[in-house]
Amino acid sequence: MRYIFYLLVISVSVIGCKSDKKTEDSKELTVYTHRHYESDQELFKRFEEETDIKLNIVNASADELIQKMSLEGEQSPADVLITVDAGRLYRAKSQDLLQSFSSPLIDSIVPNHLRDEDGHWVSLTKRARVIAYAKDRVDSTELSTYENLTSEEWKDKILVRSSSNIYNQSLLASIIANEGNEFAENWAQGVVDNMARSPKGNDRDQVKAVANGEGDLAIVNTYYIGKLLNSEDENELEAGESVGIFFPNQETTGTHINVSGIGVAKYSPNKASAVEFVEFLLKEDAQNIFAGSNYEYPINPNVEPSEILKEWGEFKEDKLSLNELGKNNKEAVIIFDKVGWK
Amino acid sequence: MNIKHRFFKFKRDLNRWSLLLLIILAAVAIPILTIGLKLFDGPGDSWGHIVDYVLFDYLQNSLLLAIFCSIIVIVFGVSTAWLVSRFHFPFRKQLEWLLILPLSVPAYIMAYAYAGVFGYSGLFSNIVDAVGLDGFRIDFMNIYGLSFVLSISLFPYVYVSSRTFFLAQATNLLEASRMLGISEFKSFFKLIFPLARPAIIAGLVLVLMEVLNDYGAASYYGVSTFTTGIFRSWFSLGEPETAIYLSAILLIIVFGLILFEKWQRRHMNFTSAKTSKQNYSSKLRPKKGHQILFSLICFVPVCLGFILPVIQLLIWAKQTFAKVWNVEFITITLESFGIAFITALITVLVALLLLFFTKWNKIELLKSSSKLGVLGYAIPGIIIAIGVLVPSLYIDKWLIEKNITSKLILNATLIALVYAYVVRFLAVAYQPLESSSLKIDRSLSDSSKVLGEGNFKTFFKIEFPLIRTGLLSAFILVFIDILKELPLTLIMKPYDVNTLAVKAFEYASDEMVSSAALPSLLIILTALVPAIFLNKLLLKNASNS
Repeated sequence: MRYIFYLLVISVSVIGCKSDKKTEDSKELTVYTHRHYESDQELFKRFEEETDIKLNIVNASADELIQKMSLEGEQSPADVLITVDAGRLYRAKSQDLLQSFSSPLIDSIVPNHLRDEDGHWVSLTKRARVIAYAKDRVDSTELSTYENLTSEEWKDKILVRSSSNIYNQSLLASIIANEGNEFAENWAQGVVDNMARSPKGNDRDQVKAVANGEGDLAIVNTYYIGKLLNSEDENELEAGESVGIFFPNQETTGTHINVSGIGVAKYSPNKASAVEFVEFLLKEDAQNIFAGSNYEYPINPNVEPSEILKEWGEFKEDKLSLNELGKNNKEAVIIFDKVGWK
Repeated sequence: MNIKHRFFKFKRDLNRWSLLLLIILAAVAIPILTIGLKLFDGPGDSWGHIVDYVLFDYLQNSLLLAIFCSIIVIVFGVSTAWLVSRFHFPFRKQLEWLLILPLSVPAYIMAYAYAGVFGYSGLFSNIVDAVGLDGFRIDFMNIYGLSFVLSISLFPYVYVSSRTFFLAQATNLLEASRMLGISEFKSFFKLIFPLARPAIIAGLVLVLMEVLNDYGAASYYGVSTFTTGIFRSWFSLGEPETAIYLSAILLIIVFGLILFEKWQRRHMNFTSAKTSKQNYSSKLRPKKGHQILFSLICFVPVCLGFILPVIQLLIWAKQTFAKVWNVEFITITLESFGIAFITALITVLVALLLLFFTKWNKIELLKSSSKLGVLGYAIPGIIIAIGVLVPSLYIDKWLIEKNITSKLILNATLIALVYAYVVRFLAVAYQPLESSSLKIDRSLSDSSKVLGEGNFKTFFKIEFPLIRTGLLSAFILVFIDILKELPLTLIMKPYDVNTLAVKAFEYASDEMVSSAALPSLLIILTALVPAIFLNKLLLKNASNS
């Protein structure tokens, strides 16, 4: 009992010390973020050192954070909201939780299709949703577009995760925006008919399944293949190396991309610092860290992607405004339910 | 009965315990009622769509899951509890506390670990290939695998509650049945199993609540359940109203289950005539062969629920240690321990008050509504968070309006977090307490009162010593649960406090499962401390009482 008591005293004092050291007058910035990568923690630390602004980080899923912001209302301590997809930023904006902001620096870095039309949010990094194919069984010339995935030749060959995943929703939302509802529903039905198995696992698991012959093609995010190719686990490494990366729709609309982005909260108590923070994240130093350690494509045109991404080559991206993804997200989910894409 | 009559009855029955009970009940029920009030906003636009396309699937899968899990946890939980409390066999003492440990592995981590074990080039395929059965694979990621994973990590609830019962039950009944020449095996099924029913069901209710609100494991295994549906309506369709509607249905089902259980034991009296003194020392010594068999039976769930996943986690932790480890983990571990310890104490205390105030209060309506307090466990943590955030923000805003404070003082503090934990985990503390207090022979406390002692004195002198084992079990269970808790912690925790579960989740949600292994192992280690220690107390208790 005594030891437990000691442990308890120590742990309580640790918590006590932490909550005590609130410095009164120094500047603070409260960041609600869905991103929880090591690269981000590194960036946050640097920002604190460079600016003397203390960051309060609240890390949860974007939906929870949006819900929290809307409950908090005018008193919300949140200054910025960071998400890993455009749809959630669109949702925060449509719930009137964000405000417009701009600066010449931001305008010069972020192209139009990668930001909100009213200036409520901008993108920080990009990921592409590509087709990973089994190098030994599939000739990349057989591949062309997302639409082609519904053709008879891929019967029982396609691996893809659950439709609860936002990247799948965004992909379908882009198809709805580009081709219309009916086309999108037929497409989703076609993919379901061609699935090698009922959707399960995450993106990494889809690639592993291809590597082990459960199917030939996996619809996955570039980001996770980067992670696989840098895994400590030999089997994961092998799986990553056994697949080739194909960027679909190069002759048509371009490969679907999704972004991680940032918006400034409507009731942000420190808007000036918030904008400073956004600028910091878009500048070359920060973008280099994003690109280098996290296998994401940088937004800043002066920054090169990491070596692995460069090896896959350049590609034409879908220039569809990201707002469209948010607008069509719900319709996409409804279609998924209808066609039985779990 | 007319109104006047009712009123007099009410006035007669009203005592201070009723008022105190009402206060406690209000405190824990506010978040739940807040959610209830939200129902009046109606469901979101997509409700019709959900009913048309997916609701049936959700219901069916959740129901199947509940049935499969009930069977597995009863088989594992009751058999092991019976063996360790009734017989001597090798390693019994170690197995006794090892059997609690599967609880310390968060269900979603267990799901990842098993997917790893049965995955391509995982442990299983290596072993199978090594013995020459090349290519034999088991597809684990489906509803059967999910049932297994959830059951193996949750069966200790049933184990703990039934063992608490077995340790305290009267052996004289068994002695009698033995003298009548009835075999041990037969008297277990004819006598002990029916007597232990409230205890088993108390554990089972906890298991089912947790099974019904699991999200992480179900979504990874691709099984659409009620809770994945709740998350989908909220996160994918962007309709919190619909999510709350779905969880209300879930709640009604769970409340129905609880009431049904209460109703069906309404005329039964589970108190044992005399609490035997020598029950602990009178463990049976079966034949050597049987003893080894019993060790094996108890070892199987320990192996499947603890050793195997821990081995998988160790393999992963070894791969990622260099990358993941930093000194911060020591403070995070201490913080997790402190929060879990204090909150578990408070939760057990609240549960105790709830239980005894209910008992001392005489108003029937209040008695039956005390069950409302334990519903929090069946609600997904994230929805509890809304239930707590709404009233606490309301108070905060009121304080700001009255110029008492200038900013939110409850929001993102330990107070709000602990409050939310209590609401969520009250059931975990309440069930073992209730089942152990059911065994107290009412004549004991009645005679104390006849002799002129008050409720309080009776409680400390008579009842408290008798439910001590229940208290300890309740504490361990809540402690471990809080260590693992995630969605609530994420959204309610103060900015600079971190927990191990949050760390594990950060890696896992980024598909870096192997990096999540280290914080998961730390959760398990932290959970070990009170589990082993309190088990010792439990035994000491049982031998003294």
